[in-house]
Amino acid sequence: MNEALDLTETSAEPIAKMPVLASLIAFVGLADSVYLTVKHYTDEPVPCSLIEGCEKVLTSAYAAFAGVPIAAIGAAAYFAAFSLAILAAFGNRVAWNLFGLQAVIMSAVTLWLLYLQGFVIGAFCQFCLVSAASTLGLLTVFITSRVVSR
Amino acid sequence: MTEKNNQSKKAKKNSGLPLSIIAIAFVVVVLGGIWLYNTSSKPRTATDANRAGVTNAARPQTAPVNAPSGAAVGVNMLGSPTAAVTVEEFADYQCGACASVHPVMKELQSAYAGNKNFRFIFRHYPLQIAGHDKSYDAAAATEAAGLQGKFWQMQDQLFRNQGTWTGNPNYRELWAQYATNLGMDVEKFKSDLAGLQTKERVNRDISRGRALGITSTPTVFINGQAVPYQEINIASLRRLIDAEIQNAAAPPPAAPSNAK
Repeated sequence: MNEALDLTETSAEPIAKMPVLASLIAFVGLADSVYLTVKHYTDEPVPCSLIEGCEKVLTSAYAAFAGVPIAAIGAAAYFAAFSLAILAAFGNRVAWNLFGLQAVIMSAVTLWLLYLQGFVIGAFCQFCLVSAASTLGLLTVFITSRVVSR
Repeated sequence: MTEKNNQSKKAKKNSGLPLSIIAIAFVVVVLGGIWLYNTSSKPRTATDANRAGVTNAARPQTAPVNAPSGAAVGVNMLGSPTAAVTVEEFADYQCGACASVHPVMKELQSAYAGNKNFRFIFRHYPLQIAGHDKSYDAAAATEAAGLQGKFWQMQDQLFRNQGTWTGNPNYRELWAQYATNLGMDVEKFKSDLAGLQTKERVNRDISRGRALGITSTPTVFINGQAVPYQEINIASLRRLIDAEIQNAAAPPPAAPSNAK
């Protein structure tokens, strides 16, 4: 039981490819979220070169939850996902299972945020879409790893 | 048993590497965030909304007047009260997108100045989110200016200089400076800004916005129909307004006539 909860315990197995890929995706999501968090606090307009509506999304009432910017919550989630993926890459199976659980929760939140952008706010923000792609990428990698290991 | 112990020792020894990678990533991200913050937090000078050329070009030829103080509905309106087409904008003075579309709104007001079928109403909708701590005060400041007939001019100042005052702890002094530049009675402006009358007018707009279910700014309505954000540009707005004006001007369907 204790062994199962020890996240620092890693095996001497070779580094797993899927968790490494997941950690890279999580790092992209982390960088994106940190960028949006900083822009939120400096109240600077976010470049919106590919699509229109970034500012509308980022200044909407949904841009923060209980006073905390969604981007900051996302940054914390991506950092946790990155850490779990790195531990899993070194053979920690508990970390990989936790990573999977987190990817499912993050994907559910992402779908809700996409719904808000598309149907409530009526605008999309390209940096939010990068984050959404990262989260769905994490879930895809996790599911693929499960399918492959069967 | 010995082999298992050896494996366990090897695994424990290995655990240092992933934790080191995580720690390094954490430091990289924190330093990156700090660097970004330091390079970002300088006042903006060259956004579309702040470029003097853009705003000056879009400024109406005649100085618009504010709705009379104490008016029944307390609205900030330009144009004819009986106009067939009403453009209603809900905006927040600390919203970057609102500052960006401000020149568009000015151009629109200029394009339809004197058109009896057009009126423009501005509504305050200060968002209660992080980074918008001065939005409500800014709305009250424009209302305080409005009590001296300078609502639109002060609004112009606040949007054009958004990047300057929004990050300044002495923002009220900057606003007082804008009031001075506009030839206002600064002491009255400060007193009105602190008073209840201006806040009541702001609150009235917020109530209307909430009743309409507004969740973000800028939100623009044309005759009650929300305009998608992508269409808040001069060409699309003019097309929509012209269509509404035509609809209003179209005579009711007439009975078939034999006249020839």
